Amino acid sequence: MKQRAVFVLAFTLSLILLFILPLSAKEIKTLSQFPMSGPVGSLPEFGWGFIDGMNWVNNEGGGVNGKKIKWFLEDFRYNPTVEVANFSKYTAEHPPDELLMATGYITGGLKPLIEKVNKEQKIPWLDGSYSTEIFGAGGGPSKYPYYYSLGATYGDQIKVLLKWIKENHKGKGKPRVAFVYSPTAWGRDGTPEGIAYAKKLGFDVVAEIEYPYTATSATNECMQLRKAKAQYVIYHGYSGATSYTAIFFKTARKIIPKAQLMGTHYTTGRFPILVAQEAFDGYVGVATRPFSDPVPRAKYPKDNAMVKMAHEFAQKNRPEEYKKGLKGGIKDMFLYMEGLTYALMLQKALTDADNAGDLSREGVKKALDNMVWDFKGMFGGKTFSYKSHTIPMLQIFKAKVKMVKMGDKMVPTGGVYPISDWINTDEIQW
Amino acid sequence: MIDLIQTLGSGILVGLVYALLGLCIVIIFKASEAFNFAIGEFLILGSFLFYVLFFNETLPWHRALPLGVLIFLFFSYVFFFDIRARFVIAIPSGLVAGFLIFCVLFFGLNLSSLVSSSLLRFIIALPMGLLAAGFVGSMVERITIKPLLGRSPISMTIITLGLGFFLRGCIQLIWGSHAYPFFLDLPDITMEMGDFLFLSDPIWAGILSLLTFGLVIVFLFRSRWGLAIRATSEDQAKAMAFGINSRFILLIVWAISALCIAVAGIMISNFGALQVGMGYVGLRAIPVVLIGGMDSIGGALIGGIIVGVCESLAGTYIEPMGLIGFKDVAPYILLLIVLFIRPYGLFGTVRIERV
Repeated sequence: MKQRAVFVLAFTLSLILLFILPLSAKEIKTLSQFPMSGPVGSLPEFGWGFIDGMNWVNNEGGGVNGKKIKWFLEDFRYNPTVEVANFSKYTAEHPPDELLMATGYITGGLKPLIEKVNKEQKIPWLDGSYSTEIFGAGGGPSKYPYYYSLGATYGDQIKVLLKWIKENHKGKGKPRVAFVYSPTAWGRDGTPEGIAYAKKLGFDVVAEIEYPYTATSATNECMQLRKAKAQYVIYHGYSGATSYTAIFFKTARKIIPKAQLMGTHYTTGRFPILVAQEAFDGYVGVATRPFSDPVPRAKYPKDNAMVKMAHEFAQKNRPEEYKKGLKGGIKDMFLYMEGLTYALMLQKALTDADNAGDLSREGVKKALDNMVWDFKGMFGGKTFSYKSHTIPMLQIFKAKVKMVKMGDKMVPTGGVYPISDWINTDEIQW
Repeated sequence: MIDLIQTLGSGILVGLVYALLGLCIVIIFKASEAFNFAIGEFLILGSFLFYVLFFNETLPWHRALPLGVLIFLFFSYVFFFDIRARFVIAIPSGLVAGFLIFCVLFFGLNLSSLVSSSLLRFIIALPMGLLAAGFVGSMVERITIKPLLGRSPISMTIITLGLGFFLRGCIQLIWGSHAYPFFLDLPDITMEMGDFLFLSDPIWAGILSLLTFGLVIVFLFRSRWGLAIRATSEDQAKAMAFGINSRFILLIVWAISALCIAVAGIMISNFGALQVGMGYVGLRAIPVVLIGGMDSIGGALIGGIIVGVCESLAGTYIEPMGLIGFKDVAPYILLLIVLFIRPYGLFGTVRIERV
């Protein structure tokens, strides 16, 4: 009888333990959202890079000092409403001491989340938006203490381009600069700051043109630039992967062939080489990441540790997609690398917080604020500090595109190649 | 003055492309009183079909094979039920068509290895691409519109809304959502005189749109088929009483419409790149046909030019005054004004209904 009672007791206890232990064990949870579909096109690469990165973090990467991260990934379809709704859902479902970090990707989503992230939830939020309004002088850590950007602000990007013009202008008289930007929160962000800085440098701002995503022709815009005798055209607020960018570059090359076309981060990359081809040759732009994907892909810069890591990850985890490229595979390695960098940043911040003995939202925030990191060699060995809540690193690139005959087809080859060292915008005296 | 002429010229060239889009709406409306809201998707689809032939873009087998099977089924169906061919003829014909399509999609046409001149390649690929677009148009009509014959035109119009979403999904599934480079490399006919500059691509777009418009008019007014189409447009029941196969006429109208939309799509893609997201361009046809008149072919031409010029003038003169984005809105404001004065459009037939 006694033996049976002991057995029943042990059985009951083990059952209780089975159900209660997992409930009492705190998990480390994160929420990440990327625009993997919607008006920017189909971009599953963000997710692929992130998934491969998180799997590596949790397995070979050692997690957060041996503890695994339970990560959630959502596609917000480039829709701020969806991004906000997802965030609300996850914060309602998961307790604040478990859901420690969240990430997003667009300026349009940051604005409606200001109150919720910074005052209600107080959760560290990493974002792909480089909004000047949020992360620039008018915003920043004092106003939005829980927002962190993974790149220098658009305002700083444009100002770096303007500095480049100042240093490289060879013609007589003041440089004649024109701004072409998209009628979106993104396009309008940073442009006023850029215009003010151009005037401060003594440039003639000869045109400010809003060129919409719905354009079927850029003739009017380019004729205005021609009439204004623009020498430098700063094209901002556009994805390089879309038809409107191809329309603009193809038209501009014919109507204003002598003007220097320039642009910000999301235009500086592989896609315009593929869609605008020779019209993209000579373009000068800034980017917050190293260029990772020339055409052909095999010629990627192996001297950058992060780029090399991203290519090796993709080749190992997604060999088919890596090979397929545009045909249903990884169209641009930047997108894959971007997902991967988010995974690495989550691990770094959480590990730093854990090492400091405070694995909570506040602890993660402190870890981010005190972070000094080389981001696995992404910036050529240079380190950055997260004090300004942006990763203030930029590099200037120039596009070189050449058409070569491959079989029966003429195909574009080339890339955007650095023409400057990595620039830390926090260290520049504007 | 130079500015004005430049602006008007650019507007007219783009307007001719819009006119072609308007024509596609008008001929379907005349034949069935339905409005084709899937015009944007037809535009992308037609451009992609041309792209496959001209740029030798191949598809993987798992995408090419279902398309080949679909063509086989459709061909067999049309041969058997519409043309009333015998079963032993219908099935092999369908098989041949399906196999040919599969081969083109999977292996590519490789025109560039046969013809080095891009103009010649264009001349060969264009009719083939347009035929393919027309064929898809007729296929869509057979599957979605034909079952609604005799029902209210509103049903057909609503079906086209759903059809648009369906086609868009299919295009994304087959070709993805990224942009495809689009360089036709037609002979450079750029016109530059002093401050005047008219680029080669818009001029080609204007010429080809006008040519297509002209060919459709000749077909409608100078051929027996055209006569049958016009008779069906006048009165479907009477036309059928006179022995005209109105169902087949509707199929032809959809085919012609899809073919013309493809020309417009190819020209617009040549300005930049080809991408599934370009479908919004099709919506430019709405102010065109409402200004010109829903049932007026000449009205589509005038409406297209008016919309093109209106956009161009707004872009050159009004937007620089700070009214950013006015270029997109201007045709709709003009449309409102026209509708206030002439509710049936400038050239639309005034309908008097006795109640």
